[in-house]
Amino acid sequence: MVIDVQITSLFTAVALIIIGIFAAAFLDNLIKKIIGLAFIGDGVNLFLIAMGYKPGGIVYIYLPGMAAEWFSQNAAYPLPFAMVLTSIVIGASTMAVMLGIIIVLYKKRGSLSAKEILGE
Amino acid sequence: MNLLIPLMVIVPILCALFLNLLHKKDRTIKTIAIILALLLPALPLLANYGLHYFGGYAPLIENPTLSNNLPSLITGTALNTFHPAITYSFQSAQKIFVFILGLVGLLAIFTSLYETRRPSGVYGYMMFMGIAAVTAILLTDDIFNLYVFFEIAALATVGIVLVSNVKGNYETALKYMILGGIAAPLFLLGIALILGVTGNVNISDIIYSLQNGLVDPKNPVLLMACGLIVFGWLYGSGLPPFHTIKSAIYSKALPSGAALIQTFSVFIFIALGIIILRIFSYLPFSQWVILGASLLAMILGITMAIVQTDIKRMIGFLAVGELGYIGIGLGLGTAFGITAGLFQAVNEVIITAFLFIGFGTVLYQTRVSDTRKLGGMLQRNPLVAFLVLIAGFAMAGVPPLNAFQSKLMLIQASITAGFPELGVIMILLSIVTFMTFMKAFHAVFLRPKPVDLELKNEDIPKATIITLLVFLVVCIIIGLFPQVVTSYLQPLATSLAGGIV
Repeated sequence: MVIDVQITSLFTAVALIIIGIFAAAFLDNLIKKIIGLAFIGDGVNLFLIAMGYKPGGIVYIYLPGMAAEWFSQNAAYPLPFAMVLTSIVIGASTMAVMLGIIIVLYKKRGSLSAKEILGE
Repeated sequence: MNLLIPLMVIVPILCALFLNLLHKKDRTIKTIAIILALLLPALPLLANYGLHYFGGYAPLIENPTLSNNLPSLITGTALNTFHPAITYSFQSAQKIFVFILGLVGLLAIFTSLYETRRPSGVYGYMMFMGIAAVTAILLTDDIFNLYVFFEIAALATVGIVLVSNVKGNYETALKYMILGGIAAPLFLLGIALILGVTGNVNISDIIYSLQNGLVDPKNPVLLMACGLIVFGWLYGSGLPPFHTIKSAIYSKALPSGAALIQTFSVFIFIALGIIILRIFSYLPFSQWVILGASLLAMILGITMAIVQTDIKRMIGFLAVGELGYIGIGLGLGTAFGITAGLFQAVNEVIITAFLFIGFGTVLYQTRVSDTRKLGGMLQRNPLVAFLVLIAGFAMAGVPPLNAFQSKLMLIQASITAGFPELGVIMILLSIVTFMTFMKAFHAVFLRPKPVDLELKNEDIPKATIITLLVFLVVCIIIGLFPQVVTSYLQPLATSLAGGIV
């Protein structure tokens, strides 16, 4: 049985997003909430990568000797990958700020419970 | 190519980085920040209208020398007209929006430098970075570029709150970031779905694909993308269900920071609202979504403001309610309605900043924001009391101030568009706004001073008074000569209403 990589990736992405939303919304531990948010971000990134996947495609780098028409038909669309790179950087910065805030709150309150700290 | 267009974004970013380097060098920061902030409103005034292609990559149709050497597989299709680079569009509406953003930014930075004993380079960094991000959101024609700056604006907002040193700021900032951690990736997912269907992230190209049959507009994936982008719009601008966290964010910032953060919210609201109108105007329910969300924001924001005892929280909820007025104008879909909505956005930014900084003087003097513990401030500062009163009148839409003109236009637009009920609701809510403001004004300025109320600072900085006077002059000028602003907004409104985008 051949499993379609693109479809599998899309389903995995959706699963990651749903698990992430569940964790962020319902788990009490702040670190677990942040891990949930990372899942959502990763799910969206995987979704973008899966969209840009081209079976048998080549990297979007035009090398000397390549025929322009062959290249345009076989190269993968590079835009989703460029977007994912940017998205990873944004996700990392947001995560760093959130973790920094949690460290400060933990030092102040001595707890990681969202119910206790955020009053949820 | 007009180089001043990208400079409107690059200059505040450079200013932010420079101020951060000068952290702890108080006097230098003060002088340099003011000089740099003067550039914010000056650049949009100096720039000419036009498009800016990053890297200089114009669409092939504009570059025949390049397109002559390419195969017809590219030049003979829609690829010939598509934008290969990130494109910034600077037209008359952007000119007035970026100018107002720059003006409020300048005044907020100016006030903050004199209200804090030791000006913080990090605080200045956050303010400049937020201004750069929102300017980019207003200028960009690329929806992914918009997402990037949307996130930067959210981080700058959180940064302003964190640096503000107000009790409970860390908790509120974390809550805001957790909600953003859900909403922002879902917004990106919406953009990814649009990219998947149209192959584009340039908004003009997406619209071209939809209008010229390159893509089926009835594709259900586009419906889902619309829903996700609307969700991002609700979060970014603080519409329900995010109205409580947004008003909490305002209340945990210093008054100058809150004035700037609400400016970010309003401009993100209109930038994303315009994009929803441009891309999804063919969907019959898009107008209803905007109208429904705006009506809910208006009713919830203003009614929740009545019961607040914290001044900043009250202004925050009023600001959310005022967003509803802007949305009603956009949702009506007529050229006059959209002009009125955009005009209301300009007025709201000025008035809410005026109120935050005006009431902020009371916080500066007493360090108390609870209206139940305040009173007798009229005797202390009659001039400030008068200026705050004018700001409240402006927000309620009392003539001849600026919001009177925009609210009158909105009511006229709702009647001519066949929604007189909306006009009635807007009048009623303006009365409630006035009542809410007068309740707070009475508690802070008119009631006798409580015995236990101590003044921590005797004198209000002159910079704050100058800022309030500038806001007063702007409110009066726009109120007496509304065409000064509306003439800039009409071309965009006409093109949005006519579907020419």
